Amino acid sequence: MAEQLIDGRVIEACQQGDRDAFQLLFETYKDKVFSIAVYSSDGDRALADDITQQIFLKLFTAIRQFRGDSEFTTWLYRLVVNACLDERRRRRRLLPWGESVAVKKTSERKPQEKQYARLEVAEAVQAAIGELKPKFRLPILLKYIEGLSYDEIASVMGCSKGTVASRLNRGHSQLAKRLSHLNNPEVWGD
Amino acid sequence: MFLRHVTKDISAYCHGELSSEESKQFAEHLIACAKCRTKFEEVKLGIKLAEQLPRLSAPDHLWSELEPLLAKQTTSVARPSAPWMWQTKVAVAAVLLVASVGVFWIYKSSRVPQNPKPSWFVKRLDGAPRIGSENIVNNGRLAIGEWLETDGSSRAQIDVATIGNVDIEENSRVRLLQSRADEHRLELVRGKMSARIWAPPRLFFVDTPSAVAADYGCAYTLEVKDDGGSLLHVTSGWVAMESKDLESLVPAGASCETRPSVGPGTAYFDDALPSFREALEKVDFERDAAVRSTALTTVLDHARPRDTLTLWHLFRRSEGADRERLYDKLTSFVSPPPGVTREGMLRFDEKMMSQWVELLEPMWTGNGGGKMVPKKVADAYFKVRNGLSRRLKDMAPK
Repeated sequence: MAEQLIDGRVIEACQQGDRDAFQLLFETYKDKVFSIAVYSSDGDRALADDITQQIFLKLFTAIRQFRGDSEFTTWLYRLVVNACLDERRRRRRLLPWGESVAVKKTSERKPQEKQYARLEVAEAVQAAIGELKPKFRLPILLKYIEGLSYDEIASVMGCSKGTVASRLNRGHSQLAKRLSHLNNPEVWGD
Repeated sequence: MFLRHVTKDISAYCHGELSSEESKQFAEHLIACAKCRTKFEEVKLGIKLAEQLPRLSAPDHLWSELEPLLAKQTTSVARPSAPWMWQTKVAVAAVLLVASVGVFWIYKSSRVPQNPKPSWFVKRLDGAPRIGSENIVNNGRLAIGEWLETDGSSRAQIDVATIGNVDIEENSRVRLLQSRADEHRLELVRGKMSARIWAPPRLFFVDTPSAVAADYGCAYTLEVKDDGGSLLHVTSGWVAMESKDLESLVPAGASCETRPSVGPGTAYFDDALPSFREALEKVDFERDAAVRSTALTTVLDHARPRDTLTLWHLFRRSEGADRERLYDKLTSFVSPPPGVTREGMLRFDEKMMSQWVELLEPMWTGNGGGKMVPKKVADAYFKVRNGLSRRLKDMAPK
């Protein structure tokens, strides 16, 4: 609903440096951008705060380059995806060889029986998403957090629709394999 | 056409990204290909898991921290024209209000819907069917939670997402309960429907007052009577009628009755002898044990080789002496394969049960009464069925 408020006039005002218009843009997209940042930074919310701020700072100046050749949301998500990938590359350079980013596993934090609650499923999925390679994780985030179609995801990722379908397929398979223990009717209340 | 595996299209199929024709070809291949079906189950689980990802709320302090940083960059940029300002402020106020409500809603719910409420296309076939209180002129849409109702002179057709369609006959009342990539579900509380589904097993379900019809890629009619009982008749493929404790697998050419507080009766072929069917009704629904026992004798006496479908279902539900009588009758039609023993079968050894049913199944799917169903499909059904039985067993109170 809020996205409908972002029309050509709002974007034009943002391009002219209007702070109120930019606040409107921020309020409209902040949760989506923040969600992708959290899932791309392995659940580190402080880091996600920084990434989100950096994205909107960059957007504040980069929006002047938006020519309307594509949908604004596609252009924005491209910016978000690139920022998340850049941040990941930067962190990998800072980590010693062989050390991967720590991913919290629910099985290490919670008693076994608690995993069978819906919220625990969501936590387990978040942890598993963090373990996927970015090329599989980002299409999943764009699909399930942003609700984009395959064509839109392809446009954001700069690849074909077939590649999106293939990466989503592999992402889904990897999620299922990692969380096969959740394939239990008791978990879903079936 | 069926040689090309469809594993790479599974996500696209589940997300409705394939055309209607592509979806149909996909489903037809899946029904016949065990390899793709296995992969389909895996991807379907992955989708179900991914759907649990919640959208998160950005912390409130973000804007206050961002504002001073923006101020540094603003100086070199021109101010906007005056007419825009009031519109912006109204919009900002509106969005802030929406955002506050949104945060509260997210707090209340562990999940945030990413897409608009799904709905199914409905076409008027006859008369004036209604969605809620609105008459359908030509076409309409049935959203989750809405009722579609027909009177004595109206009929309608519902498109079940991209996986098939359902005709709703006269004097019927049906509600859309769910439409997700991994589950499409209707509730039929009164009247009759005819379904044609080209989906993989267990994607489309119909709840009735006395049982749930689970589709296995098929065509069937389902009628709910005034007392809440129902009658399923399968014309192609297979359907499972399920309740909490009972399950009947019904192939093409067969039917199954259900009763409130009992659940599904035993599947029987429509060409079974009338005396067989009358006795079976007593076995399924009569309360008096002596009457049931006498009726079982009639069922055994009047059974044909193909009625092993019914005998097999009864065997799985039976106890004590009745179980032995049923076993003996079954063996009179088909000898158990090597390694399957009477003692093992009477204690429901799962491996032996599976071995034997493989011998019985061709009798149910290979001749008369209905369209031939590929053995591979039947194998899949029994695999699912056995899995379901195991799950129910595992969940039973110890």
